[in-house]
Amino acid sequence: MGAGRKNLPKSHSSLIDPVGVNFLPVSKKLITARFISAGIGAFIFLAITMVPLILHLIGVWAGYPAWLAWAAPAVVVVIVGWEMLLIPRQVRAIGYAERDEDLLIRGGILFHRVMVVPYGRMQYVDVTMGPIERMLGLSTIHLHTASPGTNALLNGLPAAEAARLREQLTARGEAKLAGL
Amino acid sequence: MSERLPQDPGAQQAASAAEAALPEHAETAPAPAAPSVPAPAAPEGFTTDSADTWHRVHPVSPLVRGWIAVAAVIFIFGRNSLDSLFSGGWQDGEAVTGGTPVLFILIVVGSAVVIFGVAFFLSWRFTRYQVTDENVHINSGIIFRQQRRARIDRVQAIDVIQPLLARAFGLAELKFDVADGGKSAIKLSFLKLAEAKRLRAAILARAAGVTMDPDQPMNVQEAPETQLLALPPRRIIGAAFFSSTTVVAVVFIAGAVVAVTRTGEFAIFLGFFPLFIGVFASYWKTITNDLNFRVASSPDGVRLHYGLLETRSQTIPPGRVQAVSISQGPVWRPFGWYRVQVNVAGYGDDSSGSSRSVVLPVGTEAEVMAVLGLVFPDPGVERPFDVFAAGLRGVGADEGFVHSPRAARWVDPISWRHNAFRATATALLCRRGRFFRSLQVVPHERTQSLGLRQGPLMARLGLVNFELHSTVGPIRPGVHHLSTANGLELFDEQSARAATARRIQRSEKWLQAKQTLPEEPHHGD
Repeated sequence: MGAGRKNLPKSHSSLIDPVGVNFLPVSKKLITARFISAGIGAFIFLAITMVPLILHLIGVWAGYPAWLAWAAPAVVVVIVGWEMLLIPRQVRAIGYAERDEDLLIRGGILFHRVMVVPYGRMQYVDVTMGPIERMLGLSTIHLHTASPGTNALLNGLPAAEAARLREQLTARGEAKLAGL
Repeated sequence: MSERLPQDPGAQQAASAAEAALPEHAETAPAPAAPSVPAPAAPEGFTTDSADTWHRVHPVSPLVRGWIAVAAVIFIFGRNSLDSLFSGGWQDGEAVTGGTPVLFILIVVGSAVVIFGVAFFLSWRFTRYQVTDENVHINSGIIFRQQRRARIDRVQAIDVIQPLLARAFGLAELKFDVADGGKSAIKLSFLKLAEAKRLRAAILARAAGVTMDPDQPMNVQEAPETQLLALPPRRIIGAAFFSSTTVVAVVFIAGAVVAVTRTGEFAIFLGFFPLFIGVFASYWKTITNDLNFRVASSPDGVRLHYGLLETRSQTIPPGRVQAVSISQGPVWRPFGWYRVQVNVAGYGDDSSGSSRSVVLPVGTEAEVMAVLGLVFPDPGVERPFDVFAAGLRGVGADEGFVHSPRAARWVDPISWRHNAFRATATALLCRRGRFFRSLQVVPHERTQSLGLRQGPLMARLGLVNFELHSTVGPIRPGVHHLSTANGLELFDEQSARAATARRIQRSEKWLQAKQTLPEEPHHGD
């Protein structure tokens, strides 16, 4: 692939962002939320891969090759470390903008994505809150149109902002509703 | 059952049998409801039902629906008992069954008849429907009751389907689709054919915005149809044989022949036998499904009639087509044949194997243009034939198409000059593919949402994928590998165009939108 670091934009506006649109960022707490959920996953995987290592070290399973015993947790640590490094940039890349007619959502650092959802096309709006999100006071908002291709998911909005956005979106959706 | 039924529940089987011969709606249609005049334009009195008037489907419906189960039971049990009968043989003019007494067989058969009969009777008894001014209601289920209500103005499509056995009884199923991705909101199976057509006309009239006076039956006529084209049988059969199925079959036959000549083992052919059965089943399905394909236009929308054994007639009201695609594979190229499919919100994605979204299974370019004119009346461009021809067969920048930049040849060396788009005043045309060509047309006012995607390699080459989200269906419109500048421009302009188109969009009730029409537009000319 060879998309070197220098090719990635410094500021968090990608090449495919529409011009002249001011994207609002999501809450920085989303970084914490993603750290926690990535950390939980990492802990589980690490625990699993540690079992042979510990058995090897205490001599119960001496026949197990030492390099493998060390390599498995090491791989997990490297992957998780990489994931953790990406999380802050990923979160900073998420943005949304309310325009007169539609909502713009962007995301992704390596795989950029921009989506525009017209208010008049929204069928319903979901606001959800997982346990980690609730702890940090965050919500996820999901816009549905009549198309399954519309994958308009916005993570990490502060709960108040999510509620405001939901009200705003439904009000505008009603005003601009255009059937199918 | 809380609602009062027009028929006394006490009058049981005898009444139900007698009713088969009577017009079912005699009590609710004050005008002389001349029963079953199959002529489509025959005027019949019709009012929408009041809240406590309910109708039943035709009494033989459960049998028509459940005949496979009955046939299976008769087959399995009948064969067993026949076997045992004949294994015993005949002695002194009396059947000696192989251990099973004749009485026992009679009892089992008799009880099966009673059980089926009761089940069928109950299932018929508990299914009721009504068509009010605003809604279609259907109540069904014996143990798990279901009450369903669908808004008439939300109708996306109406089908009248006649499976083979139903045709024998002169019955038809009425299918009423709302925008739920193909789950088919309301299915009335089965009604008399004339009744189904009458209901369809009434529902479409209501959906179109024709008001009905509840006290006065109004003459809802079937909207007159103008046949646009009928596909000759030889084309359907030809198209079925010149298909990718045949290519696969030929490859396998060649493989089998090679294997047999190499090894001299003819049993290898037997191994391929299931494959051949599959291939012929696929031909059979395509041919029987598409034979007699006719396309007609009517004020109520596009009418499609097709089928050899099971006949269907589909109606897609105006403005319900969400996207159109015209496609052609390499095998069809020498013949100049194309297939036209549409996304209709009620049809779903055809995953169940039905092909309801096909509006033209195989057609020449002229026929494609004719059908396009029907499902997508306003091309929004001068010289539409040239533009659409360039969309079907063109390459490069002919007729104002914008294709992928040179950089795209690294990721798509074959068809980068074929992947292109062109926006007209009313729709976006997306062309793609060199060997498997397709042209996708999405009216601006049917755009749900838009997206741009770019992976790391594409970012390096300055490319971007543009996607346009349509409702559930076989068509997923989009343009691959546009230059970033073109992609961004398209993204901005398309969202503006879609916004404008939404504002001036016609009403869902298509007759109300056209104020110039006479009072009773259903009379046609």
